Amino acid sequence: MSNAYASPRGEPLLDVRDLKVHFPTPDGVVKAVDGLSFSVRRGETFGIVGESGSGKSVTCLTALGLINRKSAHIEGEVLFKGRDLLTLPQDELRKVRGKELAMIFQDPFACLHPMYRVGDQLVEAVQIHDDMSKKAARERVVEMLSAVGIPRPRERVRDYPHQYSGGMRQRAMIAMALLHNPDVLIADEPTTALDVTVQAQILELIERIKGEFQIGVILITHDLGVVADVAQTVMVMYAGRAMELGGRNEVFERPLHPYTWGLLESIPRVMSKGELLLPIEGSPPSLINVPAGCPFHPRCPHRFGPCDEERPAFKDRGGGHPEACHLTAEDKRKLWVEREAGRTKVAV
Amino acid sequence: MSSLAEPRTTTGERPGGDALVSVRNLTKRFPITRGIIFQREVARVHAVEDVSFDIFPGETLGLVGESGSGKTTTARLITKLIDATSGSIAFDGRDITALGRRQMRPLRREMQMIFQDPYSSLNPRQTIGQIIGAPYAIQGGERNIRGRVQGLMDRVGLNPEHFNRYPHEFSGGQRQRIGVARALALSPKLIICDEPVSALDVSIQAQILNLLEGLQNDFNLTYLFISHDLSVVRHISDRIAVMYLGHIVEIGTAEELYANPKHPYTAALLSAVPKGTGGAHERVILAGDVPSPIDPPSGCVFHTRCPKARMVSGSPDEVPENCRTEFPPLGEVEQRHLCACWYPLKAGEELQQAAHR
Repeated sequence: MSNAYASPRGEPLLDVRDLKVHFPTPDGVVKAVDGLSFSVRRGETFGIVGESGSGKSVTCLTALGLINRKSAHIEGEVLFKGRDLLTLPQDELRKVRGKELAMIFQDPFACLHPMYRVGDQLVEAVQIHDDMSKKAARERVVEMLSAVGIPRPRERVRDYPHQYSGGMRQRAMIAMALLHNPDVLIADEPTTALDVTVQAQILELIERIKGEFQIGVILITHDLGVVADVAQTVMVMYAGRAMELGGRNEVFERPLHPYTWGLLESIPRVMSKGELLLPIEGSPPSLINVPAGCPFHPRCPHRFGPCDEERPAFKDRGGGHPEACHLTAEDKRKLWVEREAGRTKVAV
Repeated sequence: MSSLAEPRTTTGERPGGDALVSVRNLTKRFPITRGIIFQREVARVHAVEDVSFDIFPGETLGLVGESGSGKTTTARLITKLIDATSGSIAFDGRDITALGRRQMRPLRREMQMIFQDPYSSLNPRQTIGQIIGAPYAIQGGERNIRGRVQGLMDRVGLNPEHFNRYPHEFSGGQRQRIGVARALALSPKLIICDEPVSALDVSIQAQILNLLEGLQNDFNLTYLFISHDLSVVRHISDRIAVMYLGHIVEIGTAEELYANPKHPYTAALLSAVPKGTGGAHERVILAGDVPSPIDPPSGCVFHTRCPKARMVSGSPDEVPENCRTEFPPLGEVEQRHLCACWYPLKAGEELQQAAHR
């Protein structure tokens, strides 16, 4: 496998190999995910970052079998504990999804039915997979709500979603995802709709349950700060492809891809005033018309000869930190040091 | 609210210079009514409570707080889009609190807004030229509208030839540039930016922030910059006011406030921000949620979640009496740094131990 990347210990739980998801539309084929490989291990928080339209969510929806095969052309493999989820029949998949492989979504307001009590919705989720009496299921729900930090869970199970705050709804969603002790939890922008203090609570909770339940977490977000805080492994995506994949410190302190450099230079850092923001020129490409060669080349200040013709391979060029860029490792090291120095010089 | 009637002398002023906007004891309560024919008031949302601050010409005042803290209501009060329940607003030395719609109209060219959502703030059936030219059409007095509009488009980084295009032909970042051009059209003195970059991707955010900074230098603009993103606010602001449940709890220069937060809420807010430096750090996790503004806590509105109050009382379930009974006045704790807290943090004091209990 090209993805010879082995930082955290533990068995790979979810192994995505050369995944392609293309949607044919009247305007052309939307290449939402175009050749993506990564694996997630037990006890690891795997962060996927990228801007809107980079394919983060589609990747995870595909893994869960939530993309309609009739409307999309899907290639590759998604191995979950040794089985390929992409070829699993629907009824088999249904047994895995929501049980061994759970997901929480961005908008906790849209994910709970407003006309059913929170408790009843969670009880239903228990009974779908486990043959359990309603009473026993309710006990399990109360236990789980208390585990995710909902105060007075025995009373709050009777509440309707509108009686919960945003943070509590997200907690309830997490409780729902954890009901069956999943092996992998996919969190798609779990804190984007929440305020920072509540975000801190939810991130802390995800971190805690990851340890308690020994699961693998895939955290999808556009917020580099969130990823830097909680993920052990980070994958940076752009136009449906992985640009760079490595341990958190590698990616944030010694990033190897010009796109990552651009991202890091365009966020103001909270503890340093006066640094000039160096935005990436232009805007992300249309996925119907992804630029030839490296998809980032039209916005890349370091583009040269092969960039607009030859697609750079996503591979490890030493250091267990695979990336997709034509520049040599030495050039990249030099360029990054220069850019860092330039940035701080402006700041002074 | 014991100090409501007392005039405030200190609002974090800069020495010298007259304020462009001067807000004193501003309060807005929205009534909640029941009944079909006879509307009876059953409760009130305390959206903004006794807020006082100044904005000086050429500076950027950042307004931060979580959702529901009253940031946007404050902005709408200043622009007179809604009327205050009590308090006063002065703009450019003139009291505008009691002005009606018609009297406000000539003042509108002096204060403009940039909105959060670049999709819903542009009329999809108007061309860019019409949208950016609308202020001229409304306020009158400009013959060469097209020339002016194209000049503005060029300044904000749009291609002036796209004059006849519609909003849907532009990306999110470009649309926000259109919103900026429209706000600039009448050469206002004050621009209120209400979460201008929150809906944009990070690489585009930086472009818009740089544009706003460039424009401020070129036209000597004054910004009131509202955001929930503390890194963005810090980047762009000279001074920052922190709001919690309708109150300004702390106001000071950006450096001072971030390096040396005095109010426990500010300190907790800052520690909750992901640092993005690649490394775990200690967070102060506030327990619970923001209380309802319909029934705000007595005394200091933050006392129900305050880790510092619990440190002072020495027990996780108790807070000192004055925190529960009286709202602390916004007082100067250091030069140009005001904080509304009975027990402001000392330099270097850590909140962690209290929060971990």
